Amino acid sequence: MNAETHSGEARNGFLGRGPWFWTGMTAASTGLFIALAMSGAIEDNGTLMLLLIVPAMNMMALVASAVNRPRGDTCLATGQAQRRYIKRVAIFTSLYLATFALLTFLDKEMTLPYMVKLALATLPGLALSGVFWAIGRLIVEEQDEFMRMLVIRQSLIASGLALSAASVWGFLESAKVAPHVDAYWFAIIWFLGLGVGAVFNRIQYGTWGAV
Amino acid sequence: MKNRLKVLRAERDWSQQDLGERLGVSRQSVNAIEKGRYDPSLPLAFTISEVFDLPIEEIFSRD
Repeated sequence: MNAETHSGEARNGFLGRGPWFWTGMTAASTGLFIALAMSGAIEDNGTLMLLLIVPAMNMMALVASAVNRPRGDTCLATGQAQRRYIKRVAIFTSLYLATFALLTFLDKEMTLPYMVKLALATLPGLALSGVFWAIGRLIVEEQDEFMRMLVIRQSLIASGLALSAASVWGFLESAKVAPHVDAYWFAIIWFLGLGVGAVFNRIQYGTWGAV
Repeated sequence: MKNRLKVLRAERDWSQQDLGERLGVSRQSVNAIEKGRYDPSLPLAFTISEVFDLPIEEIFSRD
């Protein structure tokens, strides 16, 4: 056995499970979270925030397993730029969860002065903006032109979906035939759009891409 | 575009990963180029030409 083999053995996902397992866990826990929220089983924001930690932890495990998996064994890719991207996304997602939890908790427990509430309410959105910045940096830093093209393709598909949803829903809301939806949901649709883009990449180019 | 990447790689007993490392791209990129799903840029085509020590027209041709 050479050093390279040992190195490959050491890179063994997270808790012995690979990215696909943690992707499934993230999807399952997110689905459960959404189902509970939509069915009205949980109405309290604090409880919702606590439950949000479960899919978030699964997503962190997904990130860790993607970074630590053996090289060349999947149809995913992890170059240096992609590793930096994964770390940045993990940081900004953690900041998002922390600031959102802080805002929800403080808003519930006390009457916040307007300026404090304004500052606190700005933070989760800024943290999400950090994820968009991370994707932008990935496009700039990615040296592999094919992988860069896949990220751009995913981003365009995600943008098309999110902007279309925002446009359609906006007019429905103006016409008072649809309920109000908070604007940050369109950012979430954008992230889901990245997943749709990855499926398109897989179908057309045989690889999911890097995002 | 058609290309002879797979044949040239096999002649040298290189895996897609090996060729990717020589070119400074991912194994996925090599795979996509080999299967004709992705046409490389001119700079990458020149690098491929240098790695195989062959003129570009001996590696790539029109459909």
